[in-house]
Amino acid sequence: MLSIKNLTASINGTPVLKGIDLEIKAGEIHAIMGPNGSGKSTLGKVLVGHPSYEVTGGEVLFEGKNLFDLEPDVRARAGLFMGFQHPIEVPGVSNAAFLRLAYNKKAEAEGRDELDPLEFDDFIREKIKLVSMKEAFLDRSLNEGFSGGEKKRNEILQMAVLEPKLAILDELDSGLDIDALRVLGDAVNKLMRPDHALLVITHFPRILETIRPQFVHVLSGGRILKQGGPGLAIELEERGYDWVVEEAATGGHR
Amino acid sequence: MTVAVPSALLADLLSAPRPAEWEALRLAAEARLAGRELPTPRDKGWQFTDLAPLSHTSFAPAPEATADISADLLPEMVGTRQVFVNGRYAPHASCVSALPPGLRFLPLTLASEACHCLGTLAPETARSPFEDLNTARFEDGALILVPKNLRATLPLHLLFVTRAEHPCAVFPRVLIRLEAGAELSLVEEHMGHGPYLTCPVVEIQVGEGAILRHERVQRDHATAIHLATLRATVAQGGQYHSRTLTFGARLSRQEPSVRLAEGAEATLDGLALLGDGQLADTHSFLHHAAPHGTSHQLHTCVVDGQARAVFNGQIRVAPGAQGTDAQQKSRNLLLSGTARVDTEPQLEIYADDVKCTHGAAVGQLDPDEIFYLQSRGLDLEAARNLLTYGFAADLLERIPVASLRRALRRLVLARTHASALGDLA
Ligand SMILES: Nc1ncnc2c1ncn2[C@@H]1O[C@H](COP(=O)(O)OP(=O)(O)O)[C@@H](O)[C@H]1O
Ligand SMILES: [Mg+2]
Repeated sequence: MLSIKNLTASINGTPVLKGIDLEIKAGEIHAIMGPNGSGKSTLGKVLVGHPSYEVTGGEVLFEGKNLFDLEPDVRARAGLFMGFQHPIEVPGVSNAAFLRLAYNKKAEAEGRDELDPLEFDDFIREKIKLVSMKEAFLDRSLNEGFSGGEKKRNEILQMAVLEPKLAILDELDSGLDIDALRVLGDAVNKLMRPDHALLVITHFPRILETIRPQFVHVLSGGRILKQGGPGLAIELEERGYDWVVEEAATGGHR
Repeated sequence: MTVAVPSALLADLLSAPRPAEWEALRLAAEARLAGRELPTPRDKGWQFTDLAPLSHTSFAPAPEATADISADLLPEMVGTRQVFVNGRYAPHASCVSALPPGLRFLPLTLASEACHCLGTLAPETARSPFEDLNTARFEDGALILVPKNLRATLPLHLLFVTRAEHPCAVFPRVLIRLEAGAELSLVEEHMGHGPYLTCPVVEIQVGEGAILRHERVQRDHATAIHLATLRATVAQGGQYHSRTLTFGARLSRQEPSVRLAEGAEATLDGLALLGDGQLADTHSFLHHAAPHGTSHQLHTCVVDGQARAVFNGQIRVAPGAQGTDAQQKSRNLLLSGTARVDTEPQLEIYADDVKCTHGAAVGQLDPDEIFYLQSRGLDLEAARNLLTYGFAADLLERIPVASLRRALRRLVLARTHASALGDLA
């Protein structure tokens, strides 16, 4: 589904990603872990086409297509999604209207029927149950005045509405208490299908107790230093990240 | 009696016969106009707003006309509406069958009490010549009197329609008085067709503890000129909340001034949605004359094409007006490289224990916001339009009359090219 080859990227002329290789197949759940500032969010944002980042080398194929030939909105309609670490607030744009617009743009692209406001109302009512969101949040402006946790809930609601093939979830657990984390983790699991895939970006292993990855990658200094199975997340929980960096420095990498 | 010629335009407008009533008032206004010129960009307060287009046109008095307003009726107010066409009361288009007992809502020419009130409800500030012009030549207007403690549940609708084949001028006049403890919601709308000049004057007196909510919609024709004056006094503990929405006219100016007594509250919000070569100027004056008053002012402009927005927000806190809380914010969105905004606060604070904040922002759409919407599948154009709509529509959400809120949302949708996005309301 996603194939990243030797990807390098920079922001404001500073290289942040220094050669990333990653393969994600349908049905797989991958986790990217690593210390703060290692480039995790950058990787996600480069994949979804954030204009602040410059891709300086490498190649990314999504479903066989060169990702960097596609505008961000085309990537989204093709099934790529990122739940952001810091979702922004958009005053004046009603959450419900925005969600319906996003849904209909994707439906249109896929040749499915668009939903009118009444039909969408029924549709969204089911979806907000999935993330245990109160209906009042639909009438509010998109993310405006939402707490950190409410914004994360709204990101997963958007994911539920768009049903992306590949969802990148960046630090889903930040701003969430234990209960909310479990609710959203369960929601993500329910949305997962054999023809979908997930890339979970996290500094803390906690979220991986609910969303269980088959593959764990440790990113540090813009490079993937170590890859492993679910056991690696547990090891990182116990030992932190330093040993991975040291091991890589002394040549133990791969 | 002959009048000394003030300027070609003013002379033109005064050449119309003086309407029969209120002669003393009219003569006084004419006397003040004698020798006056139109303001020019050299005059204080007019440096950005050039009235030269006025002096190239000869405006005749507006002829009698009829108008079909069936499409402009708002369901909440079908029985509480007054319509004026070309400055004259239009009885067949008006209907006041649903007024609560005791509330007076009449055309001025039928209101005996009007003569005591005209020109007296609100204190004079610096008069623009257009206010005096209105006094000298208005044909009719509306009187609204809400008696003590009456809380009107239905809003009132005041509709001024102008139809001009040739350049002509109208002078709508409105007098509003809320006695102590009264409450009223009013929608004042200006619209029309053709190259007219309208100079409305609104005088407002809000009594002790009374509350007036005032929505002002200016959707005049694209070739029209709208020069409005509003003066309000708010007595102790009273509240005046207004929202002025500017969509139309090639040239418009709003000069609201509000004087607050002890513990009084005012909101003076504005939205201007401008394109092509439109110019919209707001020069407001909030006068905290006594302690513990509160005022909020949010002025929003969305400016496209070669349009230009001007905002000057004067706030005066009088000596002794301790505990005043005044907040002013001017936010402006420029949609083209040729659009322009000139915004300035003008704070005059003569008391020491006050809280006054002001801020002004002029900018383009935020690239991070555009990207966020794109990342959910909206193309660039849809994202831009949705954000533009959101920037403008923020102010509409607080309009208390549902049908007006919906109608204005549609208007803003169309003006921000967001209609294609479907029903966003
Ligand atoms: N807008 C920016 N300007 C300059 N440097 C940035 C910017 N955004 C991120 N960086 C830098 O890029 C590196 C990676 O950041 P990020 O991808 O957010 O890390 P992570 O998500 O792993 O914590 C950090 O060193 C950070 O300081
Ligand atoms: Mg991050």
